[in-house]
Amino acid sequence: MSAHPETLIAILVMALAAMAAKGGGFLAMRWLGRHRFIVAVLDHAPGAVLVSAAVVPLTQSGGAFVVGAVVAAVVTRTAGGFTPGLFAAVGAVALARWAGLP
Amino acid sequence: MSLSARVTWPSFQAGALRMILPGLASLPFGIGFGVAAAQKGLSAFETTLMSFTVMAGTSQMVALDIWAQPLPLIALAVSVFVANLRYFVMGAALQPHLPHLPWWQQPAVWYATVDQNWALNIAEYRRGQGDLGKVLGGGFVMACIWSGSTLAGNLAAGGVLSDPTAAYRLGLDFVGIAVFVVVAAIMFRGKSDLAPWAVAIAAALAARWLIGGNWYIVIGGLAGGLFGALRDTRKRHVGPS
Repeated sequence: MSAHPETLIAILVMALAAMAAKGGGFLAMRWLGRHRFIVAVLDHAPGAVLVSAAVVPLTQSGGAFVVGAVVAAVVTRTAGGFTPGLFAAVGAVALARWAGLP
Repeated sequence: MSLSARVTWPSFQAGALRMILPGLASLPFGIGFGVAAAQKGLSAFETTLMSFTVMAGTSQMVALDIWAQPLPLIALAVSVFVANLRYFVMGAALQPHLPHLPWWQQPAVWYATVDQNWALNIAEYRRGQGDLGKVLGGGFVMACIWSGSTLAGNLAAGGVLSDPTAAYRLGLDFVGIAVFVVVAAIMFRGKSDLAPWAVAIAAALAARWLIGGNWYIVIGGLAGGLFGALRDTRKRHVGPS
């Protein structure tokens, strides 16, 4: 069992940030009520975060990752669900590399 | 009828049991996160502790993406917060059904607010059958399965997967990005998401190019969210034509 103090502080910061996001809506509804613009931002932000997180690594990596991303999106939308999409994506990257893509 | 604020052992057990199967669905992601965390240098204890305390897989994966020495604490906090904004909305939806919940019980409810557990329980309270014990029991099981799976992934990474070429050949270095793509595909609602997501992508690429570092996730996420909100607000003001 090993842990660096700096890592423990980072984990604590992350845990507090996660709790702030989870509890923030709960508390905001108690005191502020429902503001349309804030709700609208929160409606769009999670998807925007996900595509932002994916696009930069995809543009900086090889063709295998692009194949994996396409397969992930298609399988998730057609087969439906997290697990089939994830397995198909990783399998597609492995196959693409086996076929010679970087 | 509102969710009961009373927690009983039978309701805790019932909530825990029914979340075992949905929890198992997070196994591949958890194992993948554990492998990725090991590759970033996190020990098994650190990985498990992070998973049990943060308990939000996508945001943990986002955090790993910007994990570097020295640790960027502000970027980590902002990234985790923004990546978890959907829980803000979920918490907001849950609160009206727990209007008199004591302050000391509230953090436990926040902690237990994870996708599948929230979905099951919000559906029940809307039918007037909600129960706080089920919320907490489900959250406890989800935390145990999630933390356990990331521990397994971290330990496996110390074995055969410690060979970087093996992880490369098996496509495991793609797990982190695959999670973002898969969850985005699940969340995609059609044409209304196209423009905000395009703005997010453009802002993320511009941020990466102009600023560098890993702020692109936060900047892209906020840009897409603000654009979508402004567009929706403008549409409401203009009205249907």
